[in-house]
Amino acid sequence: MQNSSYHQTTASSSTSTDPSASEKWAEKLLRECAKAISEKDSSKIHHFLWMLNELSSPYGDTDQKLASYFLQALFCKATESGDRSYNTLISVAEKIHSFDTARKVILKFQEVSPWTTFGHVASNAVILEALEGEAKLHIIDMSNTYCTQWPTLLEALATRNDETPHLRLSVVVTAATGGSVMKEIGQRMEKFARLMGVPFEFQAVNCGFSRLGELKREDFALREDEAVAVNCVGALRSVSIKDRNGFLRVIHGLRPKVVTVVEEEADFTSNKDVYIMCFEECLRFYGTFFEMLEESFVATSNERLMLERECSRSILSVLACEGDGGSGECERREKGSQWCARLRSGDDHFMPLNFSDDAVDDVRALLKRYQAGWSLVTSQGDDASGLYLAWKDEPVVWASAWKPSS
Amino acid sequence: MHGTLELIHPTEQWDCTPINFPVTHHGSERQFAGAELSDFMEHVARQLSDNSENTADGFSMESLSNEAFTPSTGEYRPRKLARTYHHTSGSDGCGHAEDLQWINGTQSENVSTMTYKNNRSNDHDQQGLSLITLLMECAVAISVDNLEEANKMLLELTQVASPYSPSCAERVVAYFSKAMARRVMSSCLGGTMLSPLVQSKSILSAFQAFNTISPFIKFAHFTANQAILEAFHQRDRVHIIDLDIMQGLQWPALFHILATRPDGPPHLRMTAMGTSYEALEETGRQLSGFARRLGLSFEFHPVARKPGEVDPAMIQTRRGETVAVHWLQHSLYDAIGADWKTMRLLELIAPRVITLVEQEMPHSGPFLDRFIGSLHYYSTIFDSLGATLGCEDVNRHKVEHWLLSREISNMLAVGGPTRSGDERFGSWRTELMRRGFAQVPMSGNSMTQAQLILNMFPPTHGYTIQQGDGTLRLGWKENGLYTASAWTSPRLLR
Repeated sequence: MQNSSYHQTTASSSTSTDPSASEKWAEKLLRECAKAISEKDSSKIHHFLWMLNELSSPYGDTDQKLASYFLQALFCKATESGDRSYNTLISVAEKIHSFDTARKVILKFQEVSPWTTFGHVASNAVILEALEGEAKLHIIDMSNTYCTQWPTLLEALATRNDETPHLRLSVVVTAATGGSVMKEIGQRMEKFARLMGVPFEFQAVNCGFSRLGELKREDFALREDEAVAVNCVGALRSVSIKDRNGFLRVIHGLRPKVVTVVEEEADFTSNKDVYIMCFEECLRFYGTFFEMLEESFVATSNERLMLERECSRSILSVLACEGDGGSGECERREKGSQWCARLRSGDDHFMPLNFSDDAVDDVRALLKRYQAGWSLVTSQGDDASGLYLAWKDEPVVWASAWKPSS
Repeated sequence: MHGTLELIHPTEQWDCTPINFPVTHHGSERQFAGAELSDFMEHVARQLSDNSENTADGFSMESLSNEAFTPSTGEYRPRKLARTYHHTSGSDGCGHAEDLQWINGTQSENVSTMTYKNNRSNDHDQQGLSLITLLMECAVAISVDNLEEANKMLLELTQVASPYSPSCAERVVAYFSKAMARRVMSSCLGGTMLSPLVQSKSILSAFQAFNTISPFIKFAHFTANQAILEAFHQRDRVHIIDLDIMQGLQWPALFHILATRPDGPPHLRMTAMGTSYEALEETGRQLSGFARRLGLSFEFHPVARKPGEVDPAMIQTRRGETVAVHWLQHSLYDAIGADWKTMRLLELIAPRVITLVEQEMPHSGPFLDRFIGSLHYYSTIFDSLGATLGCEDVNRHKVEHWLLSREISNMLAVGGPTRSGDERFGSWRTELMRRGFAQVPMSGNSMTQAQLILNMFPPTHGYTIQQGDGTLRLGWKENGLYTASAWTSPRLLR
């Protein structure tokens, strides 16, 4: 890259002022940088990347962290090295990934924040209601929370007044749960079910890494007399954009009694061809997430660091990788209203299920267990049905329930 | 402090009788004992500098992996570096000119075959030490300008090392790899000679935290104050020039003893140099207020310039006044400006005493020298913090992140800590001697000061003071970190 006069003159005058002294300095600089990239203004790109490089740190305050991780993405975008960097990062992450660390991180996260437990509680309530009276249950689980959702459900099944049903749990193996992790999870679930006295069967469904969209009905080995529930927590977004509607049709074809969908409230899909818009949304969402992390964990938390690093890979994927089947497809989130539109469309569509008052009460009770700042928002209007978890009044997680049209 | 003080006579021979502390044997073969990070570092660093004549093509890590250590905590063998980074020809189809030779997608060949363990403290240490090895490989790659290779390694290092780890080695790696990533990026961007941005508030706050949890700052302040006090003996008009005053934490203690001198207090002038006029004014207000409460006659002159950039006429010395110049060297930002100009300023001022506290690592020279020196230096400091503070301690994190990490970034940056490309002296002590300044040995009273400070910081068995060559050196275990010395102007000797 060539140096330029803009870069030099502006930078030398900036020695007297400290840009990091102002509030939310990171967002301002990042925004300017993204703008320069979309305008292909080379000298400005240099200037802002340089400033961000000086000021950022992944171990400092929220501004510094955002600056650091977004800088990496913007730099890769500017140097067209996003895909290669992403692949390396994923390889490293997989190398150091283990059941122990993953479990430690998610359990700590669930202890300090309802971010994932919100979806669990809402989904479990609906699943239990929908499968009431059934003797043979089959839950197909596609989630990114390492089966931490199911112990409470198993407990509920065990303590029901009527006869305890037989539960089959099919967990779809994703990138994170590959190899020994899934084996460990399966063993623990079986042990827990035994403890609870629930007749239980565990099955891992292999689909190859990030290839959710290629699953077929046969992969689930459905049986005649079972009632099926499909649980998708943070899963739909990992399906390639072009395959999403098709994937929903496959789910429809499983004839489930209920489908629960939980996703993070962000849109990196409709704007994927307008860089600056996608960037703004990314900054908004991750800015909120990082701020939430900072307020929920202690300053020196390794668990929080792992979550932040995971975010950095997502940010890189969205902002620096090529879409259309490449690594840039992996983390394209959509908002609740967008998923609703997909679920409602086509011949094989779904109809929303309401959350009962009991379910809503369960969620409210959950939120009370956490620090202030969290609230429940029931959706208004026809646009999106479901429940929203809000952090400081901003909706961040969406939970919904559906049944297939007959 | 103390009553009777001896007048410093510059030509007096320094009595090197050590008090309880062994004098360092430089260059002697030391039995490697203990898995202590800094010991390991020195050993490996020596290997690395011996090997660094080889270019990237010939560089081999075999000499390291064939060494067998026997640390006291049980078996440890540095892992054989069976790491291979496959170079496939750039086939991503982008076809741009600077085609980085990256690895393509398949998982297990991409990264090192190092296995990462978690959760058990012994494994933490083991992981920390393996990370150090990868870090050093990365440094070598940078030193021969192989930025692609370095970048790959950094992607790995920055994903694995945690600055909150129980292992000091891992914390060091986290910050060093971040510093190197910064450097690699700034190399890609060009414009490396531009002045870096200074973030004053966070630095000052972290500096205060450092002063609380560690004896190094107090050591610098109190031994220097002692030397200045001795130079001011029986002088009525005194002038202190602080080349980088920051918040002036050093001076209240000296004011106090000057104000309560048996001969009566002197009239004290202070010229304070620093980066920001507002900060200097604030410091001036604090110090003036303190002096007033002590009944000390005091004048404060802020000079918001670097010593190497200031017009000497702005530093006014008056006839009949005794001048002391003080400087605590650090790498947080470029406090001095051009070394040779600062030296010239000192020659012009011709102070009765210059109190100097230097960091024991090379601030200039080729990247690899600075890397090895600072890795050893900061590993030692991290060790000292880790010995007394838990891994969740917020002050420890503050110091490591806002202070030490910043220094590390500057040390490894293109152009070194000054970032300005100016020629730096290898060692100020050597340079002062070359210019004819005479060394004033640190007195027994200064040593006593140092001792008293150490008593405030457990575990006292960890921090060590060495005296020799007229200097006082504070360090951790056998590694010296800060060296205090005092000098007098050649003009005054005639």
